[in-house]
Amino acid sequence: MDGQMDEQTDEQTDEQMDGPGHGARRDQVVLGEVPSLRGLFARAAVLAAGGGLARAAAARLPGRLRGDGGGRPELPPVEHVVEGVTVDPSRHEAFCRVVGAPLREGPGGTEAFSGHLHALAFPVAMSVLTRPDFPLPLLRMVHLANEVEHLAPVAVGEDLTVTARAERLRPHRAGAQLDVVVRLDREDGRPVWTGRSTYLAKGVRVPGAPGEPPRPRFVPPAPTGRWSLPAGTGRDYAAVSGDWNPIHLSGPSARALGMRGAVAHGMYSASRALAQVRVPAGTPFRWTAEFAAPVLLPGVVAFSVADDGRGADWTRSDYAGWDPRTGRPHFTGGVARLGG
Amino acid sequence: MTESPQQNPEPTPQQSSEQRAGATAERTTPGPADRTGVARRAVVVGGNRIPFARAHGAYATAGNQDMLTAVLDGLAARFGLAGERIGEVAAGAVLKHPKNFNLTRESVLGSVLDPRTPAFDVQQACATGMEAVSTLVNKIRLGQIDSAIAGGVDSASDAPIVVSEGLRRSLLELNRAKTTQQKLRALARLRPADLKPVSPGTGEPRTGLSMGEHQAITTARWGIGREAQDELAAASHRNLAAAYERGFYDDLVTPFRGVSRDNNLRPDSTREKLAGLKPVFGKSLGAEPTMTAGNSTALTDGASAVLLASEDWAAEHRLPVLAEVVDVEAAAVDFVHGDEGLLMAGAYAVPRLLSRQGLALADFDFVEIHEAFAATVLATLAAWEDEQFGRERLGLDGAFGTLDRSRLNVAGSSLAAGHPFAATGGRIVATLAKLLRERADETGRPARGLISVCAAGGLGVAAVLEAR
Repeated sequence: MDGQMDEQTDEQTDEQMDGPGHGARRDQVVLGEVPSLRGLFARAAVLAAGGGLARAAAARLPGRLRGDGGGRPELPPVEHVVEGVTVDPSRHEAFCRVVGAPLREGPGGTEAFSGHLHALAFPVAMSVLTRPDFPLPLLRMVHLANEVEHLAPVAVGEDLTVTARAERLRPHRAGAQLDVVVRLDREDGRPVWTGRSTYLAKGVRVPGAPGEPPRPRFVPPAPTGRWSLPAGTGRDYAAVSGDWNPIHLSGPSARALGMRGAVAHGMYSASRALAQVRVPAGTPFRWTAEFAAPVLLPGVVAFSVADDGRGADWTRSDYAGWDPRTGRPHFTGGVARLGG
Repeated sequence: MTESPQQNPEPTPQQSSEQRAGATAERTTPGPADRTGVARRAVVVGGNRIPFARAHGAYATAGNQDMLTAVLDGLAARFGLAGERIGEVAAGAVLKHPKNFNLTRESVLGSVLDPRTPAFDVQQACATGMEAVSTLVNKIRLGQIDSAIAGGVDSASDAPIVVSEGLRRSLLELNRAKTTQQKLRALARLRPADLKPVSPGTGEPRTGLSMGEHQAITTARWGIGREAQDELAAASHRNLAAAYERGFYDDLVTPFRGVSRDNNLRPDSTREKLAGLKPVFGKSLGAEPTMTAGNSTALTDGASAVLLASEDWAAEHRLPVLAEVVDVEAAAVDFVHGDEGLLMAGAYAVPRLLSRQGLALADFDFVEIHEAFAATVLATLAAWEDEQFGRERLGLDGAFGTLDRSRLNVAGSSLAAGHPFAATGGRIVATLAKLLRERADETGRPARGLISVCAAGGLGVAAVLEAR
């Protein structure tokens, strides 16, 4: 794919991004800079405060997605690209401070924390989801799962190319789900990080039967930690991640969107969990999280992480966070060594 | 780099005292020699502490420096050290205000000791007092100093309160700001919540779990029951009360601010009374919660000091020798992801120490295991009796051994006396040294004692003392 980024609009097949299986050709849209999401979320919040969000969102849905007939719905066949996105040292440090990640020095300088790389690419991913031809209401989407492959160390200060697209719109027992796939490439075109975020659009129907079996019953393990999350946790994470979705910011703004109160970002929990895992320096890894009940703020999360070894003997760690009073899971996931 | 918790090079032989008879007489004190090439011993001359007081009570307005100075003066009065230049004083506090950066030296300067007595601060959480003893004993054995005072102090009442991280960062940024605009930007970052002061918690920094919650996990893991914990707590009160009654603490404790006995002590405490208390830790673990305010140590204020010396220095000053500090071992466990319980390092330190010394549990007349929680002591004993733990964790052929409970904490321990964190090591060393002296004088034979103190951060320190 070398050289393709230079074109304003180009085409490539999905095979080039994550192997065969989704063979649609898609247009490449090169954006001049990483878009800001704060304005979008603010406008959405104003709309929600007026009580019209749900109706407006429903009205915007194409008929075929409301389930009243029509053909198969389609995600925009594009991918958005931003070149020269710098891992900024002070923003990286601020992110690490909020999620409790250590700043690690590698041979090439400070190693970028994987959670921050997700945040770095997030606005580009969202720019796909806020396109006029994107068929689902952004603010009502729920983050179900996240999977990252951190293929090689990225140094703070490095420039990366961010490529994002939405794919695999499919049924879910509570609506429709889709994946937002992001790739970070070095300037030489070598991919260093890929992420797949699965979102649920509640109440939206697409043809087909849900494929996922129900989750097995969660039995809390012995905790290894306890997170006391203050009310401002969502605002703190919004400030360092750029995810200003009002459901995370305050009680009133969250309730306007139908939540019981402000909830922690899923990626806050996932990043904080990753920060607890002692991945040996320079080791490529896969990092996963599945999100269950949201974490209401302020709140307490019981946390557990279990390793299969230390240092060179480490191959994976599994973690979970749950409500210490009810035992209901908030998230589960793990980190595993890639390759070798 | 992997470091297994079991670094025990040789399995500790499960031997009886009879099998090992003669080993004591032949054993030479390990450790470096002085200039003459003869290894020299470091001994405990005596100790002094103020009664420990429940937090926010009798000592609420006494600071760390007040209390540490008081125990140094008390020790000096007891052993005639006024104006004496001591080789070195080492002490510390776990909860320490930054203004007390030279706490021990400042306390020495405020005491009756010669102001030319050097001093330094030590901090190893609840093992601070043990580490102070260990370091100074080694200096004495090396011949660097002839006399020393090891101590510790803590105040849960006068604890340093700090500003929030947000306020701290804003103030630092304000301090660095040069232009008015930069200053306003620094202040604009402040949020109302940032103005709330922050009290020190007992939570482990890496896990966020309180020490009690950590112990509750270990308690459940080892299936330590409520009755056993309450019985151990009642015994602690019973033993401490009896020791006070027989005058044992008369030359170990000096009254302070109107308190003459540890005021956490409940002489009439029984297992039945303790059974009425509600559990406070481990309520969301699934297992039956068993840890109460009665079988967990209370937050307390207090200070302690121990006079250490070479045998020659003690003789020259016509001072008694209670016991020799034979050897000390520190251990740490990987508790962060639950590989081992936070307070279980003593279960590793003791087997390593005894292996090095060629001793077994049966060789000790008295054993002092710090009662952070009754369950800490019981989980340690259970681990030592467990075959799998012995094999997999300690690298032994089987279980490490069973402790004769009649030798455990016979003059009371932290559940009854209280636990002003850094002061506990000094309390235990002085108490055990005196117990050993009494036993050796009674029997005319050497008496041997063992100490195990657990600490935050997965730390633990063990020591062997011996009176001849």
